[in-house]
Amino acid sequence: MLLDANALPQDARLHADICIVGAGAAGIAMALSLADSGLDVIVLEAGGQEPEPRTQALYEGTVEDAALHSPLDRYRQRELGGSTTIWGGRCMPLDPIDFEARPYISGSGWPIGAEDLAPYYPAANAWCEAGDYAYTIAEAFAGPRRPMLDGFDESHFSTHTLERFSCPTNFGGRYLQRLRAAPDLRVVLHANVTRLELDEAGEAIRHVEFKTLDGKIFVVSADSVVLAAGGLEVVRLLLNSPGRTGRGLGNAHDVVGRYYMCHLAGTIGNLVLAPPHRAWHGYDVADDGTYCRRRLALRPGVQREQGIGNFVARLHHPRITDPAHGTAILSLLFLARAFVPYEYAKRLHGDERVTMGAWLRHGVNVLRGAPSVVGFLWHWLRDRTLAARKFPSIIVYPRTERYSLDFHAEQEPNRDSRVSLGASVDELGMRRLHVDWHYTRQDVATVQKSLALLAADVRGSGIGEFDYDPGEVEREMTRYGAYGGHHIGTARMGDDPRTSVVDRNCRVHEVRNLYVAGAAVFPTSSQANPTLTLVALALRLARHLQVRHAGGEPADPGSPA
Amino acid sequence: MKTRVLILGATGYVGRRLAAALHASDWAEPVAATRRKPVVGGDIETVFCEATDTVSLTQAAAGVDALVNCVAGSADTMVATARAMAEVQASRSRPLRIVHFSSMAVYGDAVGKVDEDHPFASLPAQSYGGAKIQAEALLADVLQVGILRPGCIYGAGSPQWTERIVRLLRARRLGDLGPAGDGCSNLVHVDDVVAAATAVLQRGADGAFNLAMAGAPSWNVYFMRLARAMGAVPVRRMTARRLKLEGKVLAPPLKILEIAGGKAGLRGLPPVISPALLRLWQQDIRLDVRRAEQVLGMQWTTLEAGLAESLASRSGQSEEARN
Repeated sequence: MLLDANALPQDARLHADICIVGAGAAGIAMALSLADSGLDVIVLEAGGQEPEPRTQALYEGTVEDAALHSPLDRYRQRELGGSTTIWGGRCMPLDPIDFEARPYISGSGWPIGAEDLAPYYPAANAWCEAGDYAYTIAEAFAGPRRPMLDGFDESHFSTHTLERFSCPTNFGGRYLQRLRAAPDLRVVLHANVTRLELDEAGEAIRHVEFKTLDGKIFVVSADSVVLAAGGLEVVRLLLNSPGRTGRGLGNAHDVVGRYYMCHLAGTIGNLVLAPPHRAWHGYDVADDGTYCRRRLALRPGVQREQGIGNFVARLHHPRITDPAHGTAILSLLFLARAFVPYEYAKRLHGDERVTMGAWLRHGVNVLRGAPSVVGFLWHWLRDRTLAARKFPSIIVYPRTERYSLDFHAEQEPNRDSRVSLGASVDELGMRRLHVDWHYTRQDVATVQKSLALLAADVRGSGIGEFDYDPGEVEREMTRYGAYGGHHIGTARMGDDPRTSVVDRNCRVHEVRNLYVAGAAVFPTSSQANPTLTLVALALRLARHLQVRHAGGEPADPGSPA
Repeated sequence: MKTRVLILGATGYVGRRLAAALHASDWAEPVAATRRKPVVGGDIETVFCEATDTVSLTQAAAGVDALVNCVAGSADTMVATARAMAEVQASRSRPLRIVHFSSMAVYGDAVGKVDEDHPFASLPAQSYGGAKIQAEALLADVLQVGILRPGCIYGAGSPQWTERIVRLLRARRLGDLGPAGDGCSNLVHVDDVVAAATAVLQRGADGAFNLAMAGAPSWNVYFMRLARAMGAVPVRRMTARRLKLEGKVLAPPLKILEIAGGKAGLRGLPPVISPALLRLWQQDIRLDVRRAEQVLGMQWTTLEAGLAESLASRSGQSEEARN
């Protein structure tokens, strides 16, 4: 059932078997997968069913370098559904190599392997509504498909893996009815968790304190507590409670908030294919209706050989800000950028000053290509605006085979890249966050070496040329700072409490009954967008808790079907 | 000596399948009750019978050992048939073994796990569910009655849950319904329904039995699997807006067309997606079928096998030609 903290009686004392903090992708998938377990679950959600400015403002914080990290109340939403209310929906599992300890990536190596997560990925895929769990072109499609890059020598980069797109599913809206109907489940809205109180022995959470914006204070006692509030907020929740050491909960060894990773992304260069070679950079629609897209994925053997992190690249349209592309739709996007949501508009703004002449040339592009603009707008209205399963992104089919390259690369764990408590306090008395994000030389090398390999492979295959300025790589990968919305590694998983916050079961090392669900527990960042994997980990945690509470054999890992 | 089984509603979907199964068995001899010319086909014995009329039913049942009521129709017909059955049974010196087809509709808008002891819903007397409740009530104190409460019966030729859905999927009027298709389908394959009726006849089981495949999929999963099996791909995700349009705008004229077309003998009219259907697809009622498993020994056809059977002989004509 759905409750509102504002409407709880003043003296309400809540108890549950499991208390989950945060109703986003992880929290909702966990709560619903526990629905038939017989366990009593309470989910505390800070927001309501709609975005509320005063609640969202609780997310505000400070960043060390505004050029390198977006403001902290962006790319995450404090409302039912969490950041799935704004996500893009890109899904893909981690690669087996991501779990390995790699000598060339400092702090790499998960305490669990790909095989531990494998049983949970299909269900996670279903919760995300990304169709079949099939992430290669051969698994996802019965017949042969047109090649992504005709004639390309794939010895370093493969083109057969896929990314699949969620609707994108807003977990809050999609599963609202089920949250309401599930037996033994209470979702409390407008419940801002402010403190995690330890028992006298300092070994377990005695209760979770939460407040409403009107100042009402309640507590929930629960046998197990799961923090599923996102990779930034989990740091705030842990550090705002003193814990046994007084350094913050779970922070005996000063690891909470450290090793903060996002991804390194950018758009670079010009890929020009020589006729008759052609590329396919659009979406393939699977039988289940899911949009799938191929990408150039750096093979694991090559990563080891080169000593670099994981890397993928997609073929992309030429840089929008430069009117020289001559494409009406791209110029239209540039001119309309004020209407594109912040989280998606960043790349429409170059850091160069746009001259009057450039504005004019964009205008001329639009006028010249008016028919294609009409066609595009119709496609966008039908397949995006009005569709329930939305066309994921703008695909422009160039007249000549000309593309830029959109890359997305792993960022290595770095102790100095850090989320900590800042000096200011929010209206509920919680100290706000301060983010000091850093990347390393190794991160630059991952992108540098990958691009160089790719350029050599394009040339070596005789299909054309990939031209880019190696001197521009670092500037390009940090042009918009850390990739927004991927908040990874701040409560990392590991066997050693000196270098990790949670154990292999996502339990905070120093607290017997406190768990973390979300990308915060990833020890390394992979090339993959984190949502699918964090849902899989949350389902694994749900099963673990089921076993722990019941002592018996749990039911099948929860699938939304 | 074979058990002679009178089948009421033998020209309907389940009745025909049951008659064929009994005819093929070594222990039973079906007798198809019909109000018109024999249309069951083959060499199945038929007898004229007005099932709502006690005298007519008494005569038809004179030489049989058992009776299966598969009659579907108006509420009045279903209630009157049950009343006639009760009266016939009361007047016999050697009582019949009776199988009565009820429906999960008796549970109304209940949600969650529902077993046979779940109270009946309170429904209008003229509604389908209301009539099924009255019929069960009339048979409550009758001897030797096994009542079957199937969920949604699918299989080759099933008008409601295979044929209609196939046409809607082909027309892209159905697909993945999102939150509007999260309800449990409670699908049960027609072969399992026939097997359950047969088990009641052979084992002499009394009382009510829910029938639905164990772990029945959600409607979304059923639509997705069926669409893919029949090649209506890619499967569309339907918007809430579109479904509202179906229920509120398209359904009334299509219903009128269906009624008028039915009288004029027209076939192949576009199916109606009624507001009631839309509600059903969201209703998360899950039939508890443990009693049918334990008492009748039911084993359920898997969805995969059921879909293969559903599509193997796809059109209604070929189904009739086979019989």
